[in-house]
Amino acid sequence: MSRPTALVADDEPLLREALVRMLAAAWPGLEVVAQARNGREAIELFEAHSPDICFLDVQMPGKTGIEAAQHIGRRAHLVFVTAFDQYAVQAFAEGVLDYLVKPVEVARLAATVERLQERLKDSQPALNSEALLQKLAAALAPRPETQALRWVRASIGSTVRLIDVQDIDFLRSDEKYTVVAWRDDAGAPQEAVIRSPLKELLTQLDSTQFAQVHRSVVVNLRAISHVTRGENETADIHLKGREEILPVSRTYLHLFRQM
Amino acid sequence: MASTAASLPTGFRRIFSWPRVRFTLIVSAVFGLLMGLHRGAVPVFITRAVLVGGAVLLIFGWLEKWPKRLPRWLPRTVLRLIGIAVIIPFATGLSIGLTGGGTEHDYGLMLGVGFLFAPWIAIGTILRQRDAFAREQALEFDLQRSEFERRESDARLRLLQAQVEPHFLFNTLANVQALVDSGSPQASKVLNSLIAYLRAAVPRMHSQTVNLANEVDLVRAYLEIMQMRMPDRLQYAVHLDPAAARIACPPMTLLTLIENAVRHGIDPSEAGGRIDADIWLRDGRCVLRVTDTGVGLRSQTRGLGTGLSSLRERLRLAFGSDARLELKGIEPHGVCAEASFPARETAT
Repeated sequence: MSRPTALVADDEPLLREALVRMLAAAWPGLEVVAQARNGREAIELFEAHSPDICFLDVQMPGKTGIEAAQHIGRRAHLVFVTAFDQYAVQAFAEGVLDYLVKPVEVARLAATVERLQERLKDSQPALNSEALLQKLAAALAPRPETQALRWVRASIGSTVRLIDVQDIDFLRSDEKYTVVAWRDDAGAPQEAVIRSPLKELLTQLDSTQFAQVHRSVVVNLRAISHVTRGENETADIHLKGREEILPVSRTYLHLFRQM
Repeated sequence: MASTAASLPTGFRRIFSWPRVRFTLIVSAVFGLLMGLHRGAVPVFITRAVLVGGAVLLIFGWLEKWPKRLPRWLPRTVLRLIGIAVIIPFATGLSIGLTGGGTEHDYGLMLGVGFLFAPWIAIGTILRQRDAFAREQALEFDLQRSEFERRESDARLRLLQAQVEPHFLFNTLANVQALVDSGSPQASKVLNSLIAYLRAAVPRMHSQTVNLANEVDLVRAYLEIMQMRMPDRLQYAVHLDPAAARIACPPMTLLTLIENAVRHGIDPSEAGGRIDADIWLRDGRCVLRVTDTGVGLRSQTRGLGTGLSSLRERLRLAFGSDARLELKGIEPHGVCAEASFPARETAT
């Protein structure tokens, strides 16, 4: 059998070199044929060298280690290297995939090496089936904001700005965009455009603070000065320090019934 | 009862509140009943007494708010008592006239009872009212203070949570270990930066304000560590106008902006980029500007906003509405974050 080969990918050069050095000590027979600085390079170098084993840092710029792993699939044995991060470590601990936690401990690396040697000797297939990788990717994906949205990204002319949701007075949908009426730090009313539909934003906003009052309007309850009743089961919302008057449609009128 | 201590009704509704009207009716009716029994004409005297009581209540309530300002030598309580003393003879006369007239004796009896009791009842009411007002104010003050304390401890807690980041610490230590293992002379330099960073960061969580020179030391230590970790991806420059060195700022103000630039701008970028931090004074305000040439605002990275939201809250707690924090995208890619607040020197 020819000498086993490996690829090591980590965006931090010192850590990458340290792992290569530790591997040389723990497994003198292993040849590290390539070192990658990010997920994209890892994929390119994997295709160029077809190593038997890939050590992939999970958090890398561009493509992550998980994305690189999904590309490689079962064509190599994979070992994930992860920073100390409660969520990541938990995700790995629940699965059967090999992983190392930085800073890498010698004993832990030795155990991993032993397992890999065993698998290579018996020509076992790689553990990293597509299903397992997918499960891992799902566990590590940036969690969709479990907490309410804090900032929205909006454009004013050609500049992009982050607006604190606390500063938003109301949101109005405008075809496929959303117009956001907000206050700058000086308290002056401003308008900006968000490139996502109102419906999508609404699900991310704190429902105790923002309420939909019309098919196309969501208002910050703190910005309301008073509500006047109109004819025909409608109402108008008047805002603090803003000229605009917002309509309340019949469906949402119950929000403003007197307690 | 309608009015709990937390919020008493105001204006007209408070002056002529139902409990007050009810109290007047009952007291007048009791006096009317007693006088009526004495004179042998109960319904007539009850009607008269209620009319007088109503008139007294009217003037008592009216003088509570009018005139808005009084000369210093005339306390409002005195004015209200004078008002009552003036109204009683007229109201008594009018009530007797309206109920079919009466003898001089009737007039004298009602006047005597009115003058004897009405002022004391009025004084009692005024004193009770003062107590309620004082209680209400004390309660409101307590409420405000506890709200303020809650917000402050919230902000401090969030600062603490933001700072205790094992991810950063362990990755940095992994780098230090790598340098030590390879016998690199850089090891002790990086360890020094880490020690400087930790020393600066840890006591800061407890102190209210630091000055910008401290803040810049902390940021330089942090950037040195990050540059050691990503030498080919991070360049930086920090420029502090010496005039701003002793200006006070809430702890971690500049660090939060820098960490944000590294985490959301440089770290997700394969090519990396450059961070420039400038601190200077402009029109009596201190301006902190951090620009990076990273991936910009488009990227969806985890945790965006937590640090900035807590920074904004800390600035608001320290400077109220005088603090500004703005973020905008720059061309071709990157972010410019600018914080500004009134320039005040730290006490030494």
